[in-house]
Amino acid sequence: MPSKIYLIYFLIYKNLQLKYKHSLIGFVWSFLHPLFYLLVFNFVFSKAFSNIPHYSLFIISTLIFWIYFSGSCNQLSQTFIKNAHLIKSLNVRKLLYPVSEQGTELVSFLAGFLLFIFLMFYLGMPVNWNLLYILPIIVLFSIFTFSIGLILGALNVFFRDVGILWNTLNPALFYLSPIAYSLDIIPHQYLFYFKLNPLYHFFYIIRNVLYEGNAPSLIHCVYSLIITAVCFTIAMLIYRRTRNGFISSL
Amino acid sequence: MKQLAIELNDVSVSYLHNKRGIYSVKDFLLKGGLFSPFENKHVLHNINLKVYKGESLGVLGRNGEGKSTLLRTIVGIIIPDSGTCKVSIPISPLLALGAGLELELTGLENIKIYMALSGKYQKHTIKDLIAQVSDFSELTMDQLKMPVKMYSSGMLARLAFSTVMTTQPELLMIDEVLAVGDKGFQEKCKKRIHEVKEAGATVIFVSHNPEEVMEVCERGICLKEGTIICDGSSEEAGKEYTKLFM
Repeated sequence: MPSKIYLIYFLIYKNLQLKYKHSLIGFVWSFLHPLFYLLVFNFVFSKAFSNIPHYSLFIISTLIFWIYFSGSCNQLSQTFIKNAHLIKSLNVRKLLYPVSEQGTELVSFLAGFLLFIFLMFYLGMPVNWNLLYILPIIVLFSIFTFSIGLILGALNVFFRDVGILWNTLNPALFYLSPIAYSLDIIPHQYLFYFKLNPLYHFFYIIRNVLYEGNAPSLIHCVYSLIITAVCFTIAMLIYRRTRNGFISSL
Repeated sequence: MKQLAIELNDVSVSYLHNKRGIYSVKDFLLKGGLFSPFENKHVLHNINLKVYKGESLGVLGRNGEGKSTLLRTIVGIIIPDSGTCKVSIPISPLLALGAGLELELTGLENIKIYMALSGKYQKHTIKDLIAQVSDFSELTMDQLKMPVKMYSSGMLARLAFSTVMTTQPELLMIDEVLAVGDKGFQEKCKKRIHEVKEAGATVIFVSHNPEEVMEVCERGICLKEGTIICDGSSEEAGKEYTKLFM
């Protein structure tokens, strides 16, 4: 279906245009935004976690993925509402809107990621063939992010507080995920709860590759795969169940 | 033998309507909406409608009587609760004026997006199509390169109408677009609609203005409270519609 591909291309193009319309440096923000975070964390936590070698690299390896995740979920939770005028007047598969939204986020993530590769190299990232493992991880992580975003987006149509609630919980999830710290500091009795966080498993394998320079741990890969499959199934079920009601609620 | 273009059998449509005005979880809990906060609000009742290829159908009715819902059902945006809706030709919907126009983008970008959305985008023809749009809408290339938010409402109407007409739809749906736009362009639009009809396309035309419907269409229906109260020539439908106000 070449026309579908054009459509996704144009929707992504449109989103990117709208995102950076009135900004002077456009794309560079997808690099600067995580960089500022990094500086702040370095400043605040580097003394506290001085036992972690290459602390900047430790943070940045997962921080960029966190920003990709939270940014995508944010956008996707609004996607059907934002495109209400199109949904009401064109008979196009509604799934195209979140797909193109995710595509947009992926494009700006990759653009920033390419720059960060150099920065991470400078910060002491081990360079070897294991680095290539990051590509399938990005794909898997994107599908996971898309699923969460789709769930939020579909429910947000009916109850706008889903989006607001998500924005409220976002910082909590950030601090509950091992981004600025490692799980070694968590008391043993709470460890189990921290591992329930799906992001933990993704961040674990991302650190394996970008921070340690190893192949990703198999068991965490399996966990991540299962999590993604379950989330994706739930997302599609919710989407299918709700899509015909979008019209009357938008 | 006339070929069926659209067939609606006993179509009923209802919206999930928020019974108690519940739009947030807070309302949901406070107003005790645990027992189905939504109720069905019927918009269309048992609509039976056959439209043949090449026909021009005017749809009349007051605000909120289900005209746009009827169009959306035909396009397939709304799935009817009961009944069947069969459409056997490709549709180019121009449902609401300027729907699908992205205000921050330029006219050219909007044309491309619309072409892609309606599945007409091809790399080698896009230049031609843009030239046609520019030609018909009388918008210059300079104007097309401006963001759409700087357009006047008349220019928006020109852009929207011209873009849709350029896709050469087999089924043209027009939902109150002629209301905007200056006299000259309105005439041009009507002429173009006639040309499209001559070429064998089916036209569904929604309007508040019975004179316009009589001018553009041969057949007319009049909607009241979600049912068809009159189905006949556009003159008959026009008379029935004027009666509603007396």
